[in-house]
Amino acid sequence: MRMTKAGPVVAATAAIALTLTACGGGDEADGSGEVSTKDSITWMTMLHTATTPEADAGIEAELEKYTGLGIEMQWVPDASKDEKINAALASDSLPDLVSLTNITNTTVRQAMASGQFWDVQPYLADYPNLSKIPEATLESAKIDGGLYGVPYQKPVARYGVLVRQDWLDNLGLEVPHTIEDLTEVARAFSEDDPDGNGQDDTVGFYDRSESFLVGFRSLAGYFGAGQHFEVNDDGEVVPSFTTESFKEAMEWYRGIHEKGWMNEEFVTVQKQNQKDGIAQGKGGIVVSGLFEAKNFHEAALAADPASPMAWALINDMTYDDVDRRILTDTNGGMGGWLAVPRSQITTEADLRVVLGFIDKLMDEEPFDLMTNGIEGVHYELDADGVVSMLDNSTWEQEVQPFGSSRPSERVTVFKTSNEYTNLANELMAQNADYVVVNPAQSLTSKTYDTQWSTIQQQVNDAYNQYMVGQIEMADFEAVVEGLRGQGLDQVIAEFTESYEKANG
Amino acid sequence: MPMLTPSAPSSASAVPAAGPADAVPPGLAKDLDQRRKGSANPLWKHRALYLMILPGIAYFLVFKYLPMGGLVIAFQNYLPFLGFTGSEWVGLDHFVRLFSEDTFFLLLRNTLVISALMLLFAFPMPIVLALLLNEVRTKVLKKTVQTIVYLPHFMSWVIIVSIFYVMLSIDGGSINNLIVAAGGEPVRFLTDPDWLRPMYVFQEIWRATGWGTIVYLAAITSVDEQLYEAAELDGAGRLRQTWHITLPAIRPAIIIMLILSIGDIMELGFEHMFLVMNSLNREVAEIFDTYVYTAGIQNGQLSYASAVGLFKGLVGLVLVMLANRLAKKFGEEGVY
Repeated sequence: MRMTKAGPVVAATAAIALTLTACGGGDEADGSGEVSTKDSITWMTMLHTATTPEADAGIEAELEKYTGLGIEMQWVPDASKDEKINAALASDSLPDLVSLTNITNTTVRQAMASGQFWDVQPYLADYPNLSKIPEATLESAKIDGGLYGVPYQKPVARYGVLVRQDWLDNLGLEVPHTIEDLTEVARAFSEDDPDGNGQDDTVGFYDRSESFLVGFRSLAGYFGAGQHFEVNDDGEVVPSFTTESFKEAMEWYRGIHEKGWMNEEFVTVQKQNQKDGIAQGKGGIVVSGLFEAKNFHEAALAADPASPMAWALINDMTYDDVDRRILTDTNGGMGGWLAVPRSQITTEADLRVVLGFIDKLMDEEPFDLMTNGIEGVHYELDADGVVSMLDNSTWEQEVQPFGSSRPSERVTVFKTSNEYTNLANELMAQNADYVVVNPAQSLTSKTYDTQWSTIQQQVNDAYNQYMVGQIEMADFEAVVEGLRGQGLDQVIAEFTESYEKANG
Repeated sequence: MPMLTPSAPSSASAVPAAGPADAVPPGLAKDLDQRRKGSANPLWKHRALYLMILPGIAYFLVFKYLPMGGLVIAFQNYLPFLGFTGSEWVGLDHFVRLFSEDTFFLLLRNTLVISALMLLFAFPMPIVLALLLNEVRTKVLKKTVQTIVYLPHFMSWVIIVSIFYVMLSIDGGSINNLIVAAGGEPVRFLTDPDWLRPMYVFQEIWRATGWGTIVYLAAITSVDEQLYEAAELDGAGRLRQTWHITLPAIRPAIIIMLILSIGDIMELGFEHMFLVMNSLNREVAEIFDTYVYTAGIQNGQLSYASAVGLFKGLVGLVLVMLANRLAKKFGEEGVY
């Protein structure tokens, strides 16, 4: 009885409290500017670093000055970009400009194919930089013949294998250039105490949860596997995980895992954990972007200024009699789209403002800003035009976040005082001659657009289970066979048909 | 034996509604006179109270009931750019798909097993802890312990799971280092499917037990001290007093909490499971909440995910109603 009497008062109090909270937390973001007088841009883009740079200051303020437009950055952590973008698409809360860097995202492809974004092709010719985007890049950025965003231009293949040079020296080993030698290095790094501290606390490979899509995928490329898809002898376009080379690579990599030559619980390791682990000297072989050597090195120095860490950068790894090759990690230099939503930008006049903004970002000055930062604040130039960083942690905080949002990374190559950066730039350029691209990228398949995310996740799970020994190769193959009925066969059939059409 | 009067008069006079006329305190007599004349209708008369509840009603209408309209997408092939009105209407297709997929039974099994474990192990914990705390006689110690056990409640799952990750990892986690140092084999706490459920329930207990005691401690304070005195005179020890006086006294609170927990059986919550799940333990870790997220937000199947969510909600509703009816059958009050 007592409860019922106190009821109304409690309920009312709680209700008031709740309402107040709701008001206080109200969303003040104002969607769009007025038509034709557009003087600012909201830009949703990916954040690859731990913290966001300060708004309306530093690089952002400089870019505003250069472009003459107000900029409001909406940073989305790269790891959660898919859900953020899916949610924004579903709730129609898109900004003026969206970076879409996962080109296989089903929702994004559907949204593009259905015309949610402007087809920018007819406008490109009017801008000095946009008009110079290579035809091949434009082609690979098209969906159903439409160009629903300005393609990000990246180096075509940035990946390679990084090996701890100081550990190799300690053990008297040569820099490995074949998978066979790399295997031996992985063994030695795990068993022969490469850091000489008398403890069994190191491994060879240091991988992370995205192994299937990132690190291992690149390794499988050395074994001959295709970039996501490949055309087989029968002229069919098949996913690379159905091929023998891919499975051969899986068997080899599982052997590494079984013998303890890599971090055992890699499936629980996130990107930042991986970086931390490498900086702490837990592992000595990383399959990643060659430019990461610099970041690992600096992370190690930040933790321990006396760190002996040194890296060997390898871009010519080969296996058995397979010719030198490297899978592209940027979809053949097309790193996604800078897309303009029709719901936000409703007039051609406004669209031209946004395109002009992108175009200006491709000038050398903003490129310099987004790469090195502000001269005198983040870096200095010597007489030979060599860039040297003043304070790395400031650069990481204020400049690095913008790096991955540069519409083109091919504007110019800076000579820097960092040997790793120079070397990585050189090796990445060499990669271009051996790059393997995805034959299905510009092909169309309705089933792929709707089902691929689901299919890929199941294969990814099966790969992880196989790696740690939960299942065997026969079980992995059974999972793939099972998926044939759930759309995989249709994807193959539709891509093959599209491929035949495109290649006569 | 001396009996207490049923309830103090001061608490009975708080609300000027029912009660025999002779018990009405003098201050309310005028009110009642007015009502007898029938001049004011009750809605107007208690306008202050109704006004106070208005923001609450508005809150529920705007934030709880209005969004339910969005559930129509469970019966459509919803595409954001076509909107509610333009999307293709597919009836029960998504439900048919849900019930015919193997995933459904996996989800149902995982959700129910973990809920059952939670009811079995996590639900009684706050009761036990509250009873123990109640027996602590030093006031300072009691308050200190209470404060400390409340603390985990205020930590986010991200923090808790990260702490466990650092301790339980095979690659240099302290617990596994200890196990190895003691001559054992390292245990895959984080990836072994067999370890997921114990770990999940343990983390839930660690986080929620302290906070859960609040309700029971409040209930315990309302137990009449004289009952304990009487029991002591009759020679009952501490344990007997707890069993025969404290527990029966807080039974209504326990029943209500149980009904609420049963209603939440399908509603384990997304965040915690999402954080401890990886592709190696997914077969036992995937529950309705995480599946809605994976299917809807990550893979973009908005309509299908809504159908799954709607189904989950309906089952929860049925369970609450059943539990409530059951409670009433056993002579308890229930939640409504």
